[in-house]
Amino acid sequence: MDFSYSPEQLEVKDLAAKIFADQTSQQRLREIDAQQDKFDSKLWHDLAQAGLLAVAMEEKHGGSGLGFETLTLVFEELGRTVAPVPAVPVLTTAYVLQKYASADVCQRYLPAVANGQKMIGAALLEPANDSAVNPQAQAHYSDQGWTLNGVKSAVPFAASCEVIIVPANTDDGLAVFLLKPNSDGVMLESQICTAGEPQYLVTADNAKVELLADGDAAVLIVSALVEHMSAALCAMAIGLTDKMMRMTASYTSEREQFGVPVATFQAVGHRAADCYIDVECLRLTTHQAVSLLEQGGDTTEAVMIAKIWVGDVCHRVSQAAQHLHGGVGIDRDYELFRYCLWARQIELTCGTSSALTQRLGQKIAADFLAA
Amino acid sequence: MKIEFTPEQLNLQREVREYMKQIMTPALALEMKDPEYFEGGGPEFRRLLKKMGSDGWIALSWPKEYGGREASPIEQYIFTDEVMRAGFPYPFLTTDGVGPVLAEYGNDEKSQAVVRGILKGEVIVAIGYSEPSAGTDLASLTTKAEKTDEGWLINGQKMWTSLANYADYVWLAARTDPESAKPHKGLSMFLMPTDNPGFSFTPVHTLGVRTNATYYQDVKLPDSALIGELNNGWRLITGQLNRERLSLVNYGPIDALYKETAQWAAQTIGSDGEPIISQPWVQANLAKVKTGAEALRLICLKQAWSMTNGDLEMADASAAKVYGSEFFVECYRSLLEIMGQAGTLHRDSGGAILQGKIELRYRVGSVLTFGGGTNEVQRDIISAAGLWMPRSR
Repeated sequence: MDFSYSPEQLEVKDLAAKIFADQTSQQRLREIDAQQDKFDSKLWHDLAQAGLLAVAMEEKHGGSGLGFETLTLVFEELGRTVAPVPAVPVLTTAYVLQKYASADVCQRYLPAVANGQKMIGAALLEPANDSAVNPQAQAHYSDQGWTLNGVKSAVPFAASCEVIIVPANTDDGLAVFLLKPNSDGVMLESQICTAGEPQYLVTADNAKVELLADGDAAVLIVSALVEHMSAALCAMAIGLTDKMMRMTASYTSEREQFGVPVATFQAVGHRAADCYIDVECLRLTTHQAVSLLEQGGDTTEAVMIAKIWVGDVCHRVSQAAQHLHGGVGIDRDYELFRYCLWARQIELTCGTSSALTQRLGQKIAADFLAA
Repeated sequence: MKIEFTPEQLNLQREVREYMKQIMTPALALEMKDPEYFEGGGPEFRRLLKKMGSDGWIALSWPKEYGGREASPIEQYIFTDEVMRAGFPYPFLTTDGVGPVLAEYGNDEKSQAVVRGILKGEVIVAIGYSEPSAGTDLASLTTKAEKTDEGWLINGQKMWTSLANYADYVWLAARTDPESAKPHKGLSMFLMPTDNPGFSFTPVHTLGVRTNATYYQDVKLPDSALIGELNNGWRLITGQLNRERLSLVNYGPIDALYKETAQWAAQTIGSDGEPIISQPWVQANLAKVKTGAEALRLICLKQAWSMTNGDLEMADASAAKVYGSEFFVECYRSLLEIMGQAGTLHRDSGGAILQGKIELRYRVGSVLTFGGGTNEVQRDIISAAGLWMPRSR
C-alpha cells in the first residue's frame, strides 16, 4: 500500500504548478477573457516546451511515457489555477487514442499533440442525451465510404481541433469515427457555457468520417473516453476545491467584523472544516479511481464513486466559499468566481451525482441479485 | 500510488477473518443478548479474550519483549477492522489505549504485570476521565487526589465509566494540584484496582448499552499507583485519546451491515412480487451507503499508512473522526429505510430483520458524534490545524 507519488511524478506536479501559477495572474486571465478564442496560446506553447503535454504519451510519440496518473497531477494543478487551456479534453482524448487506436492513427495525431502543434477532441454529448454510448447521430457506409449525420453538443475547442472522435449509431450498432471539423458538411456553432470554456455545437450533414472502431472495440473506446474524462475532471476538481477552500480560510482570517477576524466565529470555522473533510473524501476517491485506471481492471464503480463525490463536493465547497467570502465572492474583480463557475461546470459534466447514484444502485442490485 | 494490500497483508486479513469465526461462539452470542454483557464482561467473553491473548493476537503490534509480532499500523488496522467486523466486543480502550501508555510510563514491576495481564487477555481497564461536569472540557475535572504519608487519598465521582462493572482496574484522572494556574497542568494519572473498598458504581442505562457512574470515597492508593510524573497526567490522557480516536471509526462493521442489508433486499420479495432491491429508491440508498463507505475505507487505510510512515496529521485524524461518526448515523438511517417499519423491531421480536442488528446500531451509534472528543471540538481542530484559521480563544 502506498498513498504517495514517485519523485518523478512529484517533479512533474511541481513543474506544472510553477508554470500555471506564473501565467495565471488576474491581469493575464482578464486579457484572455477579452480574447475571442479564450485560449492562452503562450501558456499552451510553454507547457509543450516543458514536456507537460506529453507526460502520458509514449516515447515513440514524442512523450515521456509516465502514464495517466502522472497526467492527472497536471490536471490537479490546472484546477488550482483555472488556466485557460484545454489540457483536460485534449490530453485525455490523446491518452485514450494511444491506448486503443491503431499505430497509424496514433502516429498521425499524437506527436503533433505532444509538441503542441495540434489539438484533438471528443464529442461525448448530444442535445438532451448525456449517454455517449447511446448516440442519436447516425453513420452510413456507401461506396464513397462513411458519412455522418447528427448533432453533437458542448464539444470543447472543436474549432481548434484537427480531428474529433465521434460516437455514432450504425446499422450494426455503436461505432466510433474520426471527424475533421473543417470538412464539408460540418457546421460549428459557438456555445457559451458556465465556465466560459469555448465549446461548440457540431452539426454533421452527410459529412465524411473515418471509422476508428466498431463492435465491442467501439464500446470499449467510448467507455474509456467517458471514464478517463470523468477521472480527469475529478483530478482537476481536487486542485479547484482545495484552492477555493484555502482562499476562504485566508480571506476569513483577514476580514474583520465586530472587531475580530470572521474566521474566529465557530460557525465560520466549522463550515470551512466541513469543506476540509469534503475535499479529503474527493481527493481519496479520485486517487483510488485514477490509480485503478492506471493499473487496469474493473474501474466502473471506482470512477462512478469518485464522480459522485466530485459533483457533491464541487457544489458544497463552491457555495460555502462564496457564502463565507460575502460580496467579494461574487465580484468579478476577485478571482473566486472563476473557481465557482468551473466547479459547477465539472459537477454537471460527464455524469451528475444523482444520475450516477442511480446507475451505481442499479449495478449493486444486479450484483446482489446475481449472487 | 497503489491503494491495495500486499499478498502478506491479504493473508493476515484472511487469517483473522477465519480466526474470528472460532471466537464468535453461539454461547457468546447468547451471553451478549443480555444488555449487561453486550459490551463484554460475561464468562464466555472472558474465556474468549484469554484465548485471543494466549493465541498472540492482543500483542500483535507490540515489541518482541512483550511477546508481540511488531505488526505495523497497517497490519494492526487489518486486525482491528476484522475484529469489529465480526462483532466481538474487544476492549480496544484497554489494549490499544491504556496498554501502551502504561507500558511506557508505568516503570514499576506491578504496572508491568498489569501490562502483561492485558496482553494475555486477563485484565480489563475502564477509563475514568469524564465527570458529571467535565465532558469535552476534560481539564476541568474535580476528582481530587491528596498526598498522604502512606500514598494517595482519592475522592470524587466519574461518569460514563463503561466496563467499570467488570473491569479489573480504572485508569483514573485526578487533580493533584488544585492551585495550578492552568487547569490541565494539575492532573495526574492513577491505576486503581476495582476491589478497592472506597470504590463503588451504579449502572447508567443508555439508549443502547449499559454504562456506569463510579464513586471514589476515601480511596487509598500506594505511591506506586501514580503512573507517570506528578501533575503530568494531561500528556498521558491526550496520548491515549489520539489512539482512541483512530479505533472509533472503522470500515469493517459498516461494510458487513451494508452487504447483509443488500443481500436481504435481494432475497426478500416485496408486495409487488419483486425483490425489494428492485425499487429505485432502495438502489439509491444502497449506492449512497456504498459511496460514503468507500470514502471511509480510504480514510482508514490512509491513516494506517500515514501512521506506518510516521506522519499522521492532527487535522486528518479529526477529519476521520467527524466524517466516520456522522456517516455511521446516516448509513444506519439509509439501511433502516430499506427495511421500512420492520426496521424498528428489536432483535428478540418476531419479524425482526437481520436480528435487529441495525435497529441496535441506531441506538448505540449516536454516541460517537460527541464521544471521543465531540465533533465541534474536532472541527475547531480542523480549521485551526488544517486550514490555519485563527481561533477565538
